[in-house]
Amino acid sequence: MPGMTSDSGDHSTSVVPISPNPQPTTYPLHHGLKPPIARLSISWARGNTLRVTVLRQPQPSAANGEEEAGGRVLEVKLSDNGDGEIDDAQWRRIAYGSVTPFALLQSRKNSTSTLSKISALDSTEWWQYIMEYSREINSLLGNPKPSPSLAIEDQKTVLKDVQKPTCFKAAWELMEIFYADQHSQAWIPERLLDWLADYDCLFSGTQPTVHSELVNFQKELVTRQAVEDHPKYWEAISSTLAIGWLEIGVKLLRLHGSYDFDQLGSRETENGLVEAVAVLISKMPRLRADLGADKLGECYKNKPDFVKAWEKWRAQITKLDCSAFWLQCEHHQTRDGLKNILQTMLGNSTSLSNATFHWMELYIAHFLYIRPFTAVVLAECSKSFGSWMMAHAAELLTAGNIQAEMLLQKEQFQLGGICIEELNRLVYAQVLSSHALTWQIAPIYLSSCMKQGMGLLETVLSKQALQHDQVLLKSIEICRLYELGTVSSNLMKITAVHDWKHGKKGSGVFWLQQARDEVRLNRIAKHLFDFVGKSLSDDSFKQWEGLIELLGPESGIAGGLEFLNKYREFRRSLQQVHSGTATDAAQRAAEALISLMKNPSTPQRFWLPILHDSLKLFNWAGRPLLNVSQTNVLLNKLQELSMARLRPDFVNADLPPEALNSVRLAIATNLGRAILEE
Amino acid sequence: MALTIPSPQPTSHSPPFQVHRFPQDQYIDALRWLPQLSAFHRHVLLATFNSDTSISSLQTLTYTPNSPPNLSLQSSYPTPSRITSLKTLLIPQSPKPLIVASTLSGSLLFLSADLVNGSLDFEFSVPEKGFHRGPVSGIDVDGNGSGSVVSVGEDGKINLIGIGSEGRGSNQRFFDSNGLVSYSTVKWASPFEFVTGGLGYSLQWWDQRRPGGPVSQFKGNWSSGTTSGIVHSVDIHPSRKHTCLAGGSSGTVFAWDLRWQHQPVILSGAGTPETYSPSESEIWEVQYDNYTHSSNIRNVSSSRVLPAMICSEDGILAVIEQGEVPMELLAEPCAINSFDIDKENPSDVICSLEWESIAILTRS
Repeated sequence: MPGMTSDSGDHSTSVVPISPNPQPTTYPLHHGLKPPIARLSISWARGNTLRVTVLRQPQPSAANGEEEAGGRVLEVKLSDNGDGEIDDAQWRRIAYGSVTPFALLQSRKNSTSTLSKISALDSTEWWQYIMEYSREINSLLGNPKPSPSLAIEDQKTVLKDVQKPTCFKAAWELMEIFYADQHSQAWIPERLLDWLADYDCLFSGTQPTVHSELVNFQKELVTRQAVEDHPKYWEAISSTLAIGWLEIGVKLLRLHGSYDFDQLGSRETENGLVEAVAVLISKMPRLRADLGADKLGECYKNKPDFVKAWEKWRAQITKLDCSAFWLQCEHHQTRDGLKNILQTMLGNSTSLSNATFHWMELYIAHFLYIRPFTAVVLAECSKSFGSWMMAHAAELLTAGNIQAEMLLQKEQFQLGGICIEELNRLVYAQVLSSHALTWQIAPIYLSSCMKQGMGLLETVLSKQALQHDQVLLKSIEICRLYELGTVSSNLMKITAVHDWKHGKKGSGVFWLQQARDEVRLNRIAKHLFDFVGKSLSDDSFKQWEGLIELLGPESGIAGGLEFLNKYREFRRSLQQVHSGTATDAAQRAAEALISLMKNPSTPQRFWLPILHDSLKLFNWAGRPLLNVSQTNVLLNKLQELSMARLRPDFVNADLPPEALNSVRLAIATNLGRAILEE
Repeated sequence: MALTIPSPQPTSHSPPFQVHRFPQDQYIDALRWLPQLSAFHRHVLLATFNSDTSISSLQTLTYTPNSPPNLSLQSSYPTPSRITSLKTLLIPQSPKPLIVASTLSGSLLFLSADLVNGSLDFEFSVPEKGFHRGPVSGIDVDGNGSGSVVSVGEDGKINLIGIGSEGRGSNQRFFDSNGLVSYSTVKWASPFEFVTGGLGYSLQWWDQRRPGGPVSQFKGNWSSGTTSGIVHSVDIHPSRKHTCLAGGSSGTVFAWDLRWQHQPVILSGAGTPETYSPSESEIWEVQYDNYTHSSNIRNVSSSRVLPAMICSEDGILAVIEQGEVPMELLAEPCAINSFDIDKENPSDVICSLEWESIAILTRS
């Protein structure tokens, strides 16, 4: 990785470090079952919950009659939120709150990317968008700072009231200062001072800081001669340099014994090296508008010049590092100390880690010396803060930084062809979708993932537990928005089958209709028709009215169930015939009969009962209601029925034994009358 | 789930109003205003579900509208299962409103809220057995007539539960479709009549005096493509008992007048280009809005549908009126799952947001 001379962590080889957890954590589970345990099964339940099923060997019931439980199902809730400074509910609040700023920034990005990218990214408008995003996210991480007016009124109480800031907020603001806020480029030290004031309480723990160490060292300094002999002296210089206190570093260096008049002659080379390092420190390039008179470093107002100078400066350090003069330096503490300082200045992670005491200081050290290289910030973020930070902070890191953008958006072979940015979003989306309350947010992040996003979204939707109607409807809505019609109809089918199995027949039919699943509707129809009253005198047909209403008019998709609608029409018209003698009504009933018998969806087991119910129509007093061809249709059906009787799976209609014969006779009579008429 | 970026609200033609949001850190299953006891405090009833502990409960909260507005927990009552529908009833000569809550497991809870001393007290319940199989999807309390609760379920059962001094808690099966028809919501129209809504944009009109089936029914045939088509909520205005207002899938809101049964008035959605629809998604709740134009109710012809408020899956809280451009009150980035207009002060509206918070609107 460029800019890093060495790295202690093993994440240097991986693009996205996933911190290994070498020590497994043990949690005792109290299942309360007596041994022996025969089987143990572990599966995922809803959200971050593991379902652990403990089963005992099946045993004959005990003599005292008390049944021992044969097994137990336990749900183990897993949660991991870093150091726990933010609880679950608050996390969800942050997750909810970050959706809108994230989505807004993405849509702005998408609309500008169609224009010339570089000019768009340079525009002040774009920086405003980034800052707007950063401020909104920042506001989610904790209370805004108390307003100054309140502070003037009563400073003490305001300080007491302030909620303890979180490390998340501290880290976010730090990234905002360095990467997102263009205006702060000119006054980073001041912003850092402000920042330190805001988050000072985060430091005031049991841990030492560079400042506390310096204070201690200063006490010793007064009594010490030949400071360069003491390791603490060199440590102090490295520490001050690591966090950018150049003036103090140089001042300390100039306390080196080789500067003493009596020493100059004998320690010329050594003094030359010390002075060379001091000069290099004071020439450190700094990207800012102006620099105070008492401040060290060289000021660069624009980035290209800065980067040029930065590389040149680093080359000078490297050159000095490789210089032959080191061999002539006899004072080994000086040699080692200076060499270590050079490593710190080169951004050696180990040196920086050693030079700093608190992770926050390490952060600043990283930002200061390894700044152009986003990978390290990402690595630190993922180590300390997890997926939410990774998904959202990337926006700051890439703001106006083509290099960082390239790093994050380069397709990585070892990630299966996706880029780091996408990976971070995918990981975050997975965390979101594992919780029953946040899964709905996941699509927003997934939709910004070009390669794997939609695939994972389909998986997330397909894995939803749909027992709850609301979850189904919310899933269908997401399908509608992302045009996932197939997923949507699959969800409907799953629900349909579930409802059907659980006795909600109407609901099952409804969802199959919505999913336009004629195959299943036909199969369902076969089951359903077993329960439909097959005789006109059967009053239980009334209960089907509601379902038939639900099926809607014939135009709708109903599969085999369409028969129910036609059958109801037929029954209604036949009932009118039975209550009167109007030929019109009888004619309508006859037409309904033919339409029913011609329809292939009319189940065979209804044929004979329908015909039997229609006896009155065949023997209609006035004139034959059915013409020859119509009667032939019915005769063919009767013939088919006779053949079917021979098959083993034939279901006998619940009719008197002479029914078939009387129907046959009536139809034959009708045929005869129809022939005569024609 | 709304994914659109909310535009700044309100628009120029909408009246000024204040919105206060209160994160709850738990999912809100249902909410209602409770009767006002004093000028300074209001009370709100929430049915909540804590996903971390899997505990569901009913809660009363005290709302102080004065600056800064504050909403604080007053009392809490753990419920055996999540709440699917919540109704309140003010009992004459009693300072304690009756709370009726139906559960996901298929039971019914009756509690009284002591707002003075801050407690929720159990009165009685109707257990799952012999009541509903699976969740109770909707309930309604008849406040002025028979004094009974009607409950409907996806199992197709319709039950009547007595709440009067006689027959308190008695449960009578009024109808059972044996699962052939599922009902999602119910509303009393008169002491004898009620309306149910369900799948396929269907509505059924029932009369206790004519059991055995619905007196009338309606089926909307507006479904298209792979969308749902469910009536989620119905409302009936006391002055228009012949008209049922219904809200459901695809932003559909319509009024079904018993006098013109085959001509529903479509107020929003249903793929009609001539109506402007504030939402394209599930309409979770509809209520007549007595605040909007409440002064000229008597002047409005009886065939005209009164103004109604809706909340939707795509985060819209709006007032719609026949022939008018809808008035958007809220456009949230997440779903608005339910709302309630205060009966005593119709200017106040409370609504629950998908992202574990509630919003209180005060219109002025």
